[in-house]
Amino acid sequence: MKRVGFSTTPNLVLRLPMWRSRLMLFMLFVAFTALVVRALWIQGPGNAFYEAKAVKGTQRELEMSASRGKILDRNGQVIATSLEAKAVIAYNDTIPKDLSDEKIKQLAALLDMREADVRKKLKDERNQVFLKRQVDPVIAQKIRKLEIPGIGLNNEFRRFYPEGEAMAHVVGFTNVEDRGQEGMELSRENDLAASTGKRRVVVDRLGRIVEDMGVLQLPQNGKDLKLSVDSKIQYIAYNALKDAVEKHRAKAAGAVVINVQTGEILALANWPSYNPNDRKILSGEQLRNRVMTDTFEPGSTIKPFTVALAMEKGQVNPNTIMSIGAKYLVGPKPITDTHNYPSLTVAEVIQKSSNIGTSKLAMNMPASEMWDLFTAVGFGQAPKVGFPGAVAGRLHPHQKWMPTDQARIAFGYGISTSLFQMARAYTIFARDGELVPVTIEHSPDYKPGTRVISAKTAIEMRSMLESVTEPGGTALKAHAEGYRVGGKTGTAHKVAGKGYASNKYLAYFTGIAPMSAPRIVVAVMVDEPTTNGYYGGQVAAPIFSTIVSETLRAMNVAPDSAVKNMVQRDDAIKPGSAAPIQRVVLTQ
Amino acid sequence: MNRATLTLLALLLICALSLVSAQQRGRKLVTAIERAQIEERKLNQEWLRLEYEQRNLSKSARIRDAARNQLNMSPIAPNRTIYLREER
Repeated sequence: MKRVGFSTTPNLVLRLPMWRSRLMLFMLFVAFTALVVRALWIQGPGNAFYEAKAVKGTQRELEMSASRGKILDRNGQVIATSLEAKAVIAYNDTIPKDLSDEKIKQLAALLDMREADVRKKLKDERNQVFLKRQVDPVIAQKIRKLEIPGIGLNNEFRRFYPEGEAMAHVVGFTNVEDRGQEGMELSRENDLAASTGKRRVVVDRLGRIVEDMGVLQLPQNGKDLKLSVDSKIQYIAYNALKDAVEKHRAKAAGAVVINVQTGEILALANWPSYNPNDRKILSGEQLRNRVMTDTFEPGSTIKPFTVALAMEKGQVNPNTIMSIGAKYLVGPKPITDTHNYPSLTVAEVIQKSSNIGTSKLAMNMPASEMWDLFTAVGFGQAPKVGFPGAVAGRLHPHQKWMPTDQARIAFGYGISTSLFQMARAYTIFARDGELVPVTIEHSPDYKPGTRVISAKTAIEMRSMLESVTEPGGTALKAHAEGYRVGGKTGTAHKVAGKGYASNKYLAYFTGIAPMSAPRIVVAVMVDEPTTNGYYGGQVAAPIFSTIVSETLRAMNVAPDSAVKNMVQRDDAIKPGSAAPIQRVVLTQ
Repeated sequence: MNRATLTLLALLLICALSLVSAQQRGRKLVTAIERAQIEERKLNQEWLRLEYEQRNLSKSARIRDAARNQLNMSPIAPNRTIYLREER
């Protein structure tokens, strides 16, 4: 076989046309140029698109959750807290069409929903539907275990209120978005609300976080709010109201307890109430914080102010004797009393709650001075304690008062106040003439007040108020065992249409305790009592008595009134004897 | 010259390898921190839940009910109470 050397191969001898190789070279050049241009494009102007794509694959923005602030009572007990819950979401484009009936049944049972409702939601045209919100995490875990494709769980918070109905009107409630709707939850929304944060992270292909790129927005937990309310005293007040409403078959009731030294609201209770943990069926009647938002004609509870003003002006003293008589004519309608008194001392005018006596004192004073006093104690102005819907009541300018108005305003008709305003006004008697600034926030320091009347008048009025609860007074039932108390009853006809309803009453009692060194002011109101009496002294005074005696004991206040001692002295008790005694250590 | 180049090359290699291992360790630590943070959140939630449960069990309504009905206790009455004063 003839060998042909490489260098002598005939192919090389073959001469091809030059244009072919040049064309080839040119095409290669063009192709490489295109590659270089593309590479430059990707590195240069087109870079952002690819970078974004790369980031999308590896970087994620994660939400950083933050929870709403807690609400605490004065002792640090939780009265509103946010716990983690789950929102169950259906992504309807991912849910298989042939999802078994069994799974739907299980899902409906876990969500505590009807099967038909679940099916309807799963067939919703929207891609993303909330099946249920604020689901308990334990139940959410069971739902996850069903492994239904397209059912997702989102983190959220649910608000819980351990005190339930007793504290409902103070604390209020939030909606599913965790925003305040009523009470403190609404008025302190800005402080309590949390703001979620955001951060960027790098994840690997398994979705694990491998690098923290930094926080884009810091999460902010809501601030905790400590109230002045004592949940124990609140419960005492709420329970007393509940019992009284049942006993007197009343429409509603309200009570407020104020610490006169610090101006703190210790309790603010209303009946009817609602359970803030279950807000499905709520009526306006239940939601109304009557203590703050309802105004009424205060009736006789206002008399101490009129009488105090007359004493302050030096016109009378507690022992001044006044002629009363059967009626007193100012304007077309005579003013009368429930009993006929020929004469009474000024102290007895308060003790017996004489309309005539109070009107006579008022008619001796200029209207402007009465108006000044009523304004100074807060009537006619909305109290600024941060409750939504707190009302101002009605106190017409004195220039508009006719003599008949002045005579009636003196004993509480033609003027309206809220129960809260009345309680606050009474602090002038408890605090030796000073009006104390009232707060719902925990601030246990002594607060200086604004002087309204002299200490002498206030002390004299206190002993007159005490006589109301003693034999001969209108409120014997206000007597609290172990403590000296004082206060004033009130019974007013309810306004119906253009006039007063003859058979619908409001019964009040506002008082102070203990009288030797006042610590609290308590105001009680019962709306439309129908059985077992309707007078303030019969209906509201016993509630006052219960609240005062239990509250003062809860506050460890020493009794200032003699009680019949049933127990032997400590040293006389034999070991093993079953003497039912309690020892209370007093710290004040 | 040649020796210096080799030394530098070796150093470069060591640096490159340690960078890779440091990055790996860094990522592991980030994952560990993440896990710990999730744990912290869980424990925080658990604490809040327990605090709520404790409050629920110690609320006045429940105590009153238990004291009256189960333990047959009655409220303190002033005439059955000895008051002790703290010495000042």
